[in-house]
Order: sequence, then structure tokens, then C-alpha cells
Amino acid sequence: MVAQTTINLTVNGHAIQARPGQTVLEAAADAGIAIPALCHHPHLKPEGACRLCLVEIEKQRTLQPACTFPAAEGMVVQTESEKAVASRKLALQLLFSERSHYCMHCPQSGTADSTDCELQKLGYRYGINSWSYPPDYAKPWPLDASRKHFVMDHARCILCRRCVRACNTIAANHTLGVHQRGSRTLICADDNVRFGDSTCVSCGTCLQVCPTGALTDRRSAYRGHDCDVTRTKAVCLGCAVGCGIEAVTRDNQLLRVEGDWTAGNEGLLCATGRFEVVEPKPQRVLWPMVKQDGRLVETSWDKALTLVAERFRESHRVAGLATPRLPNESLAAFACFFNEVLMSNEVALLYGEDPPVELGMSASLRDITMADFIAVISGDPLRQQKVVGHLIKRALDNEARLFVVNDRATELDRYAQVRLPLQDVSQHGESPFERLRHAYHLRGTGISQLKAAVETAQRPVILYGSGLTTTVYSALRALPDKVRFLPLISGTNAAGAARLGLRPRPVHGAALYLMLGDDTTDGLPVTPRQFTVVQSAYRSPATETADVVLPDLIWAEQKGHIINIEGRTLPVTPLLQAPKSVHACWDTLLQLSMRMGSSLSYDQIHDISMAV
Amino acid sequence: MATQVTVASDWLAGCAGCHMSFLDIDERLVELIGHVTLTSMPITDLKHPAEGGVDVGILEGAVNNSATERVARLMRQRSRILIALGDCAVFGGIPTMRNCANKEACLKRAYIESESTVDGRIPDDPELAVMQEARPINQVVDVDIYLPGCPPPADAIFYVLSELLAGRKPKLAGKNLDWH
Repeated sequence: MVAQTTINLTVNGHAIQARPGQTVLEAAADAGIAIPALCHHPHLKPEGACRLCLVEIEKQRTLQPACTFPAAEGMVVQTESEKAVASRKLALQLLFSERSHYCMHCPQSGTADSTDCELQKLGYRYGINSWSYPPDYAKPWPLDASRKHFVMDHARCILCRRCVRACNTIAANHTLGVHQRGSRTLICADDNVRFGDSTCVSCGTCLQVCPTGALTDRRSAYRGHDCDVTRTKAVCLGCAVGCGIEAVTRDNQLLRVEGDWTAGNEGLLCATGRFEVVEPKPQRVLWPMVKQDGRLVETSWDKALTLVAERFRESHRVAGLATPRLPNESLAAFACFFNEVLMSNEVALLYGEDPPVELGMSASLRDITMADFIAVISGDPLRQQKVVGHLIKRALDNEARLFVVNDRATELDRYAQVRLPLQDVSQHGESPFERLRHAYHLRGTGISQLKAAVETAQRPVILYGSGLTTTVYSALRALPDKVRFLPLISGTNAAGAARLGLRPRPVHGAALYLMLGDDTTDGLPVTPRQFTVVQSAYRSPATETADVVLPDLIWAEQKGHIINIEGRTLPVTPLLQAPKSVHACWDTLLQLSMRMGSSLSYDQIHDISMAV
Repeated sequence: MATQVTVASDWLAGCAGCHMSFLDIDERLVELIGHVTLTSMPITDLKHPAEGGVDVGILEGAVNNSATERVARLMRQRSRILIALGDCAVFGGIPTMRNCANKEACLKRAYIESESTVDGRIPDDPELAVMQEARPINQVVDVDIYLPGCPPPADAIFYVLSELLAGRKPKLAGKNLDWH
């Protein structure tokens, strides 16, 4: 039997083609025919729960759900026949009568053109203007507001189970499930505990897929329907993974962040990238400030930069610390400013670990989910690169084996088949150079076990931190070519910084330039008498002890590039317009270098950052 | 004068917003009363539908006690065609939000526990209406036409009345169908 490459079928009188394995719904969608459905989602396996997609298929005894019915050769389908439409209207009426669907105070509710509720949209489409079956008004449906960022209102839930499927197959967190049966069925967390007390990590994937107002985001509620807002694809700067996001903005405000389904993370985000970014922030620094009589006083850019140039010129040596949470262009300007203008080597990253060692072919985020063997050596991705942690759990759901190699407990421990101990050999480094920093060693027996596991695997992925001994790195490098590597870096653009020669290390100088971007830090790593300039978007303990404070952009106002853990260069797209008085840090550095009599130019910085 | 179509309206447990939306048909009201006689409305001098009955009765608000139930039944009895106007009349709406709390708790909260009340007392005069479950009017009377919205757009109200005048059953769709 020869396998067919295309299947020919007829939908609503149109001859269309389907690929083997496609359902009627998928084939119709590809041909531009949208069959109404509520529980269907392109990134989730079909469920067949809502019964909205029932269609008439010739020679079938009854109506069939298009979302699960496989397309077959010669099939004749009617999606809007009298029978199908009557069934659809009945399904809608039954859904409405099941719970208390009060549209009037739901954030998702709108007109036929503006509604964000897929249930309401279908109600409008099929001309529903009243309910055939009265709901039980006396029944109180629970409202769970115990999570910080979003709310679950069971009165608006249609039990499509998109949230349960998303939690299981996209986030692989397995928190959500279903409690009770029949008309008492409820979506629940774990053993039916409050969401806030459950194993939920607030990744928000369930929120993104919910078709109604059952799961509602708090911060963006009532602030604009989809038709009122602007969506921009961008990159999250919360950590070095660099997940693709869709930023939802309106009137120069960031309302909400959603996962980009078309990026490597495929819609998945973590609480940091999705929710923390829209939480209230500290007071914004809008104008330069100079310390006068112990207090910070606003002043002009000209006065502030003149003062800084003067004091830097006087200082014997100027030290610089930058947050890794800045694009290549800003870090290049910083490095350039110190090397060429200040003639100082005392420039480093404010925090992080040593730059990752190159070991072999880089893994992509997709490679993690497809892996059949994963080793995590010295790192805690579930805590620090959360989306990577989720992807690892997804691979484990597909029966991948996991080795965790660490000297301390990690969040992945309970999922590992094998735990190998790392030894802290900081005192007994293999070279005098290594005695200065931490080094972790894996014994020969451990390395053999790792080798054996890699041998039997077809798609092994190894995630590794920094600070391992050269023996370990050499052993990893010697593994077969099929292994893909992913460094576990903390610090959003630490990889970009490393290529510019910036690493975290102590620096010394009579003056300090601290470039914070929109990072906040508790204190200054300085001695009290140093002249300190802090460039920061927000006021924090660091800015309060500075002599000069210069404003900076927040992540959503930045433009440039970063390098993520996959080694890919990702664009940083401005989502918001910065206040007029705030300049990008590279612009500030150019202005400063001019006042110091240097000819540092924009092109110079651009060339360096392009080379990175 | 040609035989005018007679229209009466009343409100139950509602906020009067739907009647305000009715007034929002603005100048078209002048055209309307060329064909229609507005006999009794809560916003005109006469409040109750005439004994002889009217062609079109309009009800806003949900049924939530014995008084509003009586008004609903009276309007149904005296109208040939009954229109449920607004989300409260059609779906039950905001008044139904108190259904999940028991009646005693509601009365106690309103008359005794509310912050500005001093020495509160739940009224128990026998002439007062008896509290019931709040529900849409179609749980009490037969409804001929549903006009949802909170409030229904003025254009939708004008459309429904125009269609009825033309002898057609109105079909709400597009901008005229707006529940929230």
C-alpha cells in the first residue's frame, strides 16, 4: 500500500487537500475555512470537549467533532448545515446555562468586534440573544484569587481543559487537573488546594490559552481589548534564555507580556518574564542628580556630565561595573569608554559567573524537549533559567533520562534517575590560577557514568554551569559529536559581555562608574570616600549613596542586541518611548567622552558591537 | 389620526439605564411618535399600562420580589408583544449576584451592618414586597422579543421598534447584538 502524500476532501462544497494525519479541523483551517471550536488550540492536542466543532460528514451515522476526526480521502463535510448549526447553538446554550456567565463585569467582555472572550464571540456569531435554559443562579461558583498575578473565576469556566493541557504538555508542571464529575466538575490545583498554596509556579501558560474570562490577568484587566492595543514581538530580558515575547502596549504603557508562539520557547514564559515586568517599580530617575549637602538634587545633563568629566580626569584611576542586563551596544560603549577614554582596565560586570567555556555544538531550546538524555552539571535551571527547566521536564515526560550533577540540592533533583556529586575543590585547584575562584570537580567514576549514558542515547543534551575543573571540561569536550551543549548563564547578556572582555571580578579605583540599567542593587561595592557615578533607571539604595546619578532606559525602551544561552544574537526591540529627559547609556558615554576630550564616536561603538 | 401602535414600558429590579438608552434614540423619537403612542412609562406621567391593553410592552430589570413579579405579570397580561429590555430582563443580570448569599444575610447586611447605619432594623411591614430569587423575566412570563445589552445600544432599540412597526420580527445581529 503506497502512502498518499495528499488527501482530497470536500468541505462546504470546496475541494481541499489534507496531509496524512491531519484532522478535518486542521485541514479546513489550512484551506481558510474556520470551524468554530472552543477547546481546540493550535499548540495543544485536541480534546473534543466543547462539541462546538461538530460537523456533518456524509456516510457518518451522527455529527462528528472536526477537531479529532481524521481527514480521509473522498470525505464530504458540511460545517454550517442546518443540523450542524442547530447542534452548535444547542452546545452554546448548554454551556451558558451551566455556570453564571455574567458578561457585564468581565474584563474580556465586549461587542462582537471587540470581545476577547471566545465564548461570547461565538454567541454573537450565532445570534444568541437570550438563554434557553436558566442557570442555577443560587449556586456560588468559587473565585480563587490566591495567586499574585492572575485570578480564576470558575463561574466563567467552560471546562475546555486548555489550562490543564497547557500545564501538562507545555509547562510540564502538572499542577492543574480536574476535580469531581458531572455538573460539579471543577478545574483544580494538585489535591484541590488553593492555587496560591499549590505547586503552581505562575508561569501563566494557562492564562494565555484560556478562551474565556475564567483566567484573568490582574494588572491588565479592563485596560484594553485586543483591538485597542498594540502587539510587538520582542525578547524577554529577564535572564539569559531570551524567550520570545509579545509585548502588549497601549498609550506608551506596557499592559501585559505574552509568550510568542512562533519563537524558540513556543509561547512558554516564566513568572519573571511574564508578570514581574509589569509590577510596580521603584521611583524612576528622570533627570541627572548631584549630591549637594548630603542630598541628591536634580540638575541639567550639561552640569552633571561636566562635573563627572572633571572628577574622572582628576581621579588616579576610574573603575567601572556594568550590569549584564544591557544590550551589546551599551556594553561595547562602556568597554570602549574605559579602554580608550579613561585608559583604565578596571572594568567588569557587576555580578554573574565566569563566561561559559565552549564545549561543542550548541543546543537550541527545541533540542532540550527532543532530548532522550539530559545531564545538568552545576546549575539549577528550574530556579535560574526557568523556561529551560520547564523544557527539561517536558523531555522527561517523553521518557528522557536525567542526570543531575551538583554539590548541593537543586529543584531538579527529584526528577533525576542518577545524582552525581560534585566536589568543591576550590582550595586544591589544578593550576595556581584556579585557586582564586571556585572550582567543582567530578570524579572519574562519575565521568564514566556520564560517558556510558551518552553512548546509549541518540539525542543527548548537556547543560553546564561555570566553575568546573579543566578535567571535567576536557572530558565533556571529548564526548561524541551527537551531544549538544547549553551553558547555564545567569545575567541576561553575560554572553555578549564576555565577548567584549567583560567578566565579573573585583575592580579598584579612586572613582567608580556603576552602570545599572534598570537593575537594582542593594548597595554599592565601594569604599565610602570614592567618587561614585551611578547610571540607573530607578532610585535604589545604590543611587542614594552616589555622588552623581544619571538616568537610564528601562529594558522596554532599549534598542540593540543580546546574545542568549543558545549563542544566538537576538534583537532588543524598543516597546516604549522613554521620557524625553532620559538617554540611552551609550549616548551618555559619548557625551561624556566628548567632554573628556576624546573622539569616541558612535560608529566605533557600532562596529565593536556588530563584531560581537 | 391613523391608528397608532400603543407602547408601554415599566422597570423592575433595574437601574433605569435601559430607559436612558431608549431616550438616546434622540431626534428619532420625534419620528417614532408619529407612528407610536407612548402610553405609560416610568419616565412619563402615566405609570401603569391601561386596562384595555397595549400593542407592545417593554420591561427593564429582573424579577426579584413579589412586587416586581406582579408588575411583570401585569405587563404581560396587558401587552400583545412583550419585549425584555436589557441584560437584567433577558439574562437576570446584576440583581442575580445576590442569589448565592442567603436572604437573611442580604437583609442583615443592607439594613443593619452597612457602615453608615446606626441602630438598624430590618423592615417587616406586611405591605412590603417579599424577597425572592432574582431571575430574568422569562422565568415568570412568556417573552416575545429579547433585547440584551447593558444597556442595549440605542440603535438596537430603535431598530427593534422600527421592525415591529413594519410588521417584521426583528433579528438582532452585528452592532445591534451587544450583551455587555
